[in-house]
Amino acid sequence: MILGASFDSPAENKKFAEKFHFNFPLLCDTDRSIGTAYGANADPGKGAQRVGVVIDTNGKIKEWHARVDARAWPTEVLKTL
Amino acid sequence: MLNPGDKAPDFTARDHTGKSVKLADFKGKTVVLWFYPKADTPG
Repeated sequence: MILGASFDSPAENKKFAEKFHFNFPLLCDTDRSIGTAYGANADPGKGAQRVGVVIDTNGKIKEWHARVDARAWPTEVLKTL
Repeated sequence: MLNPGDKAPDFTARDHTGKSVKLADFKGKTVVLWFYPKADTPG
């Protein structure tokens, strides 16, 4: 399961999803609560950091990366699972 | 930051279609969660 997340509104993320034909949910973390919990909100004046997280089947963190390549990483990591 | 073995913080949010999504929905599945700064900015 892939989930994208940013601090953008649903309207902004809908455009993004349609442009790139994403077939997974883009979370609209407008209050930055998820970003804060996952260490992706270091600078509240800016957008989310490009943090990548893998959560295992037991709901525990398997991997946490401070910076990932947004285009390549989700598909790369899926191959390793 | 989070470390391997930490409990993943639960969350509930709206997705881009307005649907409510929570981490607990994916119990038993591996979840890949990635953050990006702004919709439609190159990586």
